[in-house]
Parts: sequence; C-alpha cells; structure tokens
Amino acid sequence: MNYDWDFGAVWAYRQMLWDGALGTLKIAVVAILLGVVIGAVVATMRLSGRRGLRYPALGFTEFYRNTPPLLHFFWAFYALPVVLGVSLDPYVAAVIALSTQSGAFYAEVFRGGVLSIERGQWEGARALGMLPGAVLRRVVLPQALRRMLPPFMERSFELIKTTALASTLAYTDLLYQAMQVNSITFRPLEVYTMVAAIFFLTLLALSLLAHLVEGRLARASQPVAW
Amino acid sequence: MEFSWDFTPVLQNYPVLLKGVGMTALLWLIAFPVSMLAGFFISLATGSRRWLAVGLGRSYVELFRNTPVMIQLIWFFYAFPILTGQQLTPTVAALCGLILNASAYCSEIFRGGMASVPRGQWEGARALGMSRAQVMRRVIVPQVFASMLPAFTNRGIELAKNTSIASVIAVQELMYQGRALSAAFYRPLEILTAVGLIYFLLIYPGSYLASRLERRFARRV
Repeated sequence: MNYDWDFGAVWAYRQMLWDGALGTLKIAVVAILLGVVIGAVVATMRLSGRRGLRYPALGFTEFYRNTPPLLHFFWAFYALPVVLGVSLDPYVAAVIALSTQSGAFYAEVFRGGVLSIERGQWEGARALGMLPGAVLRRVVLPQALRRMLPPFMERSFELIKTTALASTLAYTDLLYQAMQVNSITFRPLEVYTMVAAIFFLTLLALSLLAHLVEGRLARASQPVAW
Repeated sequence: MEFSWDFTPVLQNYPVLLKGVGMTALLWLIAFPVSMLAGFFISLATGSRRWLAVGLGRSYVELFRNTPVMIQLIWFFYAFPILTGQQLTPTVAALCGLILNASAYCSEIFRGGMASVPRGQWEGARALGMSRAQVMRRVIVPQVFASMLPAFTNRGIELAKNTSIASVIAVQELMYQGRALSAAFYRPLEILTAVGLIYFLLIYPGSYLASRLERRFARRV
C-alpha cells in the first residue's frame, strides 16, 4: 500500500482533460435540450386520445427504458449508419443516443407531472370556458412544472453520468481524454481518481443547487391563506 | 436506405450470444443480492445516531451516486490494482464496481422505507421490551418491505442495464459478445438489433412487474 501518488504527471496534461471536460459539457447540454424537445413530443403523443399516436410513443419509451444505454450508443454509431447510408461521427452518434434515451425518460417525467394535476381542475377550467390549450397553459402546466422539477433534475444528472459512455465511441469526452492521458503517463490511479473527483464535485454542486431551487419553489408554492 | 436485413450471422452464432446472456445473468445474480445486503447495512449506518457512522455512510452513498458507473468499473480494473498490488480479473472488477454502485442506491431505499414508519412504533415496541434488532425484525421490516419492493425492482432493472458496461473492461457478457460478432461479420445492424431485443426480453418482465407493484401500492395507500 506504499504507493507514491503523483498528480504532477497528470497535472502536466491538464489541457487535455480540460478539452475533455468541454466535450462532456457540450454533449450534455445539447442532449438535454434535444431530449426535452423529444420528451415533450413523446409525452404529448402518449397523452393524446388517438391510439395511432399513443402506441408508438409507448413503444418508444418502453424500448429505451428496458435496454442498456451503452447499446443505444453502439446502435447509433455502428447500426444506424447502415440504415441511413451515411456514416456518423462519434459526436453526432453520441448526441443521437443520449437525446433519444433521455427523451424517453423526460417524456415519462412530463406525463407524470401533467397526470398529477387532478381532473377537477381540468373540468373546472373547461367549465369557465377555457379551451383545452388554455387550460394546459394557464392552469395545469404552471403547477405541473413545479412538480416535474425534481424528477427532471434527477434524470438530467443521470444523463450527465451517461455521457461517460460516449468515450466508447472515441468521442473526446472527459473519460476518453483521461484514457489518453493514462496511455501517455501510465498513471491510471491518479488519472481515473481525478476524473471521478471531477464528476463527483460537479454533480454534488449541481444537486445542492437543485435542492436550493426546489426549496425555494416549494416555499413559493405554499397555498395562500384565504 | 439500400440495405437488406440478413439475420443469418445472428442465427448461426446464437451459442456465442447465449454465452453472453449467461455471463450477464451471472453478474446480475451475484451483484443484486449482495448489493441489497450491503445496502441494508449501509442504511443502518446512515440511519443511526452516531455522527461518524452517518458521515461515513453518507460519503459512501454520495460518492457512488455522483460518479458514472463506467468510471467506477474502469477505476476498479485499472486503478485499484496499483493501490493494492493485486490485479483483479475483469469479472471481479466489474462485480466490485456494480455492487458498490448498486448498494449505495439500495441503502437509500432502505433508509427511505424505514424513515416512513412513524416513530411511535419504535417507541411502542421498545416500551414492550424488544431490543432494537427485534423491533427491526418483527415490527419495521415486515411493514416496509412490501412498500420498498417497487423501488428494489427498479434498482434491479438499472443493475441489469449497467451490467452491459462490463463489456468495456472485456467481461464477456452479452454486449461484449454482440460487439465481437458484429466486428467479425460486419453486420452491426442485425447483430446489435438482436442484442437490443435480447436485453429487452430479459429486462421487460422486470419493469412490467415494477409497474404492477407500483400500481398496487398506490391503490392501497
């Protein structure tokens, strides 16, 4: 156990790790944005009255929820190009894999949030003469969004952790760069510990921030005394 | 869009995929019970009143929940041996990573379940003269176990999906075999699609069960 830790060797390659961190940030942000769009579309389809919309959306979410994320990455990188007839670079394949799978999970978050608002509110608002679109916009969504926030944040943290899988496609994310630094320095212990620490501190900071925001919102949404 | 599906490489090599399924199942069958057991003991620490136990338990839980599983597996395979001088086989390294990760989540399920029992029950049972262990065994666990089932089923599903990451450190489970086949026959579309279907068939019954359990408990409450 008398191993001499030497973070100096790794520190010399900090620029590579920094580039990797930016690569991770890039796919995480793009995948969250696209995932929200996909999730909103899929949730709308699942909540619609038409079977032709509901069933494909159900199939989509069930597929992504019941297969491993790593498979989505490999499928997007190796199999999808065969279908499309064009080759995809690792960045595009990783974004496709991440955003579709997070879209499936976000869809469940959105659907759960909308369904959590009691039917009576729909009926009441409709009775006041609002159109379904207006009920959704003015009554349901303002309340549902607040309830969706905690599971939404949780899914987003999962997504950030899942970005590490993009390294298997040789996308230059933090983990991939760490592997490169390791092959130069032969310091796996320091490199991988450092990368784990970067993820840990980032996610911990983000989850503390999320708790703070949730606390604020919970206080802001206390029922007003009549 | 000019391609023709050809599943013969999949059908001809089904024993290879089957071996992969066996390895995936083995990883899951070892990691899941051990994670539940470890998670239970960690929840005793995080739920206790000793600040040192709480601090250590919470650090463990937060550490493994806030880092990617893939980095945990890679760490155990490449970094851990340097610290101990003992090279782990890929399977053992994968099991270490998977178990430590899943046990952190399992302990949170236990903690949440036990916290849901009103304090009065603890006090009542203690007043009847039961020891802490007896209260746990006779009063708390029987009540909360059922309500924790959906959460554990979901954890089991996540674990099953995470086993695929073991392929990265060359554990020859389903994902690894699928990639090897697709590289050998250059039929990634058919082989990876088949692998996806196999995973779906393995995991879907679990998530169906979880949603059934969830609905049942939602009705009862």
